[in-house]
Amino acid sequence: MKATAAIAINVFRESVRDKVLYNLVLFAILMIGASYILGQLTAGQDVKIIKDLGLSAMSVFGLFIAVFIGIGLVSKEVERRSVYSLLPKPIHRYQLVLGKYAGLALTLFVNMTIMTLAFYAVLFYTAWGIDPVVQRAWDAPALDPALLKAVGLILIELLLVTAIALFFSTFSTPILSAAMAFGLFIVGHFSTDLRNFDQVVDSPAAIRLARGLYWVLPNLGQFDVKTQVVHGQPVPAGYVALTAGYAALYTAMLLTLAVVVFSRRDFK
Amino acid sequence: MAERRLAGLFGALAFAGALLAGAIEVQAARERAYPAPEVPGGEDAVYITSGTAVRRLTGAYNALAADIYWIRAIQYYGGARRRLAGSPAGPAPPPGLAAVEPKEFGQLYTLLDITTSLDPAFTIAYRFGAVFLGEAYPAGAGRVDLAVKLLEKGIAARPDKWEYMEDAGFVYYWYAHDLRQAAAWFDKAAAVPGAPVWLKALAATTLVRGGDRQSSRTMWAAILQSSEIPWLRSTAERSLMQLRALDEMEAIQSRLDAFARQTGTPLDDWTGVVRARVFPGTPVDPGGTPYELTRDGQVRLSQSSKLFPLPVEPERSAASR
Amino acid sequence: MSAALATFDLTKDYSIGFWRKRPYRALDRLTLEVRQGEVFGFLGPNGAGKTTTMKLLMQLVFPTGGRAEILGRPLGDLAVKRRIGYLPENPYFYDYLTAEELLMYFGALFGYDAADRRRRAGRLLDQLGIAGERRLQLRKFSKGMLQRVGIAQALLNDPDVVIFDEPMSGLDPLGRRDVRALILGLRDRGCTVFFSSHVLSDAEALCSRVAILARGRLVASGGLDEMLAFEASGWELVVAMARGTPSVGPGIRRIVPIGGGRYSLELPLDPPPERLLGELAAAGAKLISLNPIRPTLEDLFVEQVTSQAAQAGRL
Repeated sequence: MKATAAIAINVFRESVRDKVLYNLVLFAILMIGASYILGQLTAGQDVKIIKDLGLSAMSVFGLFIAVFIGIGLVSKEVERRSVYSLLPKPIHRYQLVLGKYAGLALTLFVNMTIMTLAFYAVLFYTAWGIDPVVQRAWDAPALDPALLKAVGLILIELLLVTAIALFFSTFSTPILSAAMAFGLFIVGHFSTDLRNFDQVVDSPAAIRLARGLYWVLPNLGQFDVKTQVVHGQPVPAGYVALTAGYAALYTAMLLTLAVVVFSRRDFK
Repeated sequence: MAERRLAGLFGALAFAGALLAGAIEVQAARERAYPAPEVPGGEDAVYITSGTAVRRLTGAYNALAADIYWIRAIQYYGGARRRLAGSPAGPAPPPGLAAVEPKEFGQLYTLLDITTSLDPAFTIAYRFGAVFLGEAYPAGAGRVDLAVKLLEKGIAARPDKWEYMEDAGFVYYWYAHDLRQAAAWFDKAAAVPGAPVWLKALAATTLVRGGDRQSSRTMWAAILQSSEIPWLRSTAERSLMQLRALDEMEAIQSRLDAFARQTGTPLDDWTGVVRARVFPGTPVDPGGTPYELTRDGQVRLSQSSKLFPLPVEPERSAASR
Repeated sequence: MSAALATFDLTKDYSIGFWRKRPYRALDRLTLEVRQGEVFGFLGPNGAGKTTTMKLLMQLVFPTGGRAEILGRPLGDLAVKRRIGYLPENPYFYDYLTAEELLMYFGALFGYDAADRRRRAGRLLDQLGIAGERRLQLRKFSKGMLQRVGIAQALLNDPDVVIFDEPMSGLDPLGRRDVRALILGLRDRGCTVFFSSHVLSDAEALCSRVAILARGRLVASGGLDEMLAFEASGWELVVAMARGTPSVGPGIRRIVPIGGGRYSLELPLDPPPERLLGELAAAGAKLISLNPIRPTLEDLFVEQVTSQAAQAGRL
């Protein structure tokens, strides 16, 4: 347990020293800049747009971190041969895999937390001084706590994507892993379309294949509640719970497979 | 030692499989408890509605973007139909409502417009799109005007495509029951060099004979022959079967009426009719489902038939106009 | 007492080629034993299979056949891993960590608390002569310095068995001397040292037993004395003569003047040199030294390897 934690902290330290957290600066600039410009242009709609922009930016920045660090988690150790001095230590191979995952998860969590604080700060500033009567007419309040649900689900989605990237990292080169991870991400967002195939396709074999793929491929669209939250529509706690449960199980599966692959590899 | 490792491998893979199964179960449970939210206009908002804007954005990848939008259009159409599958097939919304976007299919034209702006030669997008748009609600958008608008766009890009003009004529004939326009479009199609010869005849027939069943039959038969698209062909086949059902029902009805006049009693039951040797057996529609006989001796198509509902014939609407 | 290391027909095949054409046998049925407390030299040319053997022992790769034990337990036993240290060939670590941070990180993997880790790290950095660079990021380290860091991390847990893959590589003569002293120090503490090397003179100076590997096969193994127990092939006699040169009698193979009136004479085994000594003394020569000429490990090595290659060539 302590060994796994040590590996995780090392991943976090590497991310920090690789200046990953500088993306936060970019995020801050984006949000502040947007709020300033929009403040000049529109009145009233800017809060909604900032919410959309902020949530989307969190999602995109997080995605890049998850994929680009994720694909190197294991492959960099192997490529640089630092794994040769790591594995002979009294640890199991699975501890290395899980430790790496935990480290990137920690990085993402810290990243998202700072982003969320900046996000709320900008929202606070944007809504400052606007007549409460106007504010009440909005779909959702500016400092809406429901935004946290959207942020939380984004984080959970990113943790799943991290597991995907890590899985590929255990056996594939960084470039291939990146391609596959991004590919799965895109497919995962279009998976609901696989559902509608039976309306427009005639072949029953194709329909069955589409259905099968729909269930097996990671369904990422369900983590996207940005529209609902921004429009003030309720996102039930049960929905969040079930979605998180799905993510947990799917992530566990990916980590299991990653451990299996990694445990059987020869490091020539 | 190797065997132990292999057993460990199977165990681990089985465990992974169990986790996946668990994940699928949870997802299924979520979908049961929280079905996809009905955001008006469809799940995805189309943020950029201008075809030219999208065209500029996707730059060198226009054709690929066109394919993606086409797929979106199909998914959108399929999704809307799926959601409406429960509701009964009512008549097209009255003309006044046609100006208002129905709750479903609202984005369909936009998606098709963008697709064809990205790739003006995208034949299927025009032809299918016209059908999606023209089909009466809830099987389609029920917007003949938009269907024709789309086809006109296609013609502007490729004036040699007589198929689009034929489609426009068809849309007017079948969905809008406007025979004059239909005939005019068939004429235009016939005038294109390389168009098949029967188009001129079709124009003439439409105008003169009006909306009789024979012209409808000819048109569907033409589609059946000319289209390589299986979905369009099966739609044509079904429509032809529906027309045959209409024919058959008229024939059956006349025999029933004649028999009723002979015996003086109305017939309300097939067994009596069959015993009386009016028909060799209970008449069955081209889809294989037996016809129904109402209490007042009228034959009609069963609601459980594949051909239900039968199309409203143009000539009847023309008569009511 | 169980052996420190023992292999039993240990074999490793690699699949070469994209479509798995033929397997390449990197290690062929190696059976070897290293006793506790000894310094064992694992010798052989490049590609002989030395690194493969060590990786098999560390479970970095998995054997195709045979098995091995460390301290009487099968490979992979975590309790055993706590008692061993490993230095990989051309070690590489994490660019962005400092030397001290690396040792602290690895110390955490052993489960030591923070104070303990710091103590151990400090001690080893001093011992390896890189205490001054403890705060320097590893990306700035030279090859020799990285080698020292590698040795340091292998000794973090005060192991009972250390396995060094080319410990002298990348070190200057001073560094080599330090490592030699370190190995002897480990031996004196009761640690078993199993190391591979090209530098045969180091093996000669340090090892009690050696094994020679070539093309994946064990070619020779045993105590240095036994292996070099070819009879002496002759004598080397060094004399000093005030005047003149020693007469070249029939018995003398070669005379090499060393300078300053000294001469080195190479004599055959037979006849025994005492008689010649008497003659030279009578002629006024002074005896400086008399030593048997034995083949060095080098000669042995080359001979074994070339005979192995010849065998392979003939097959």
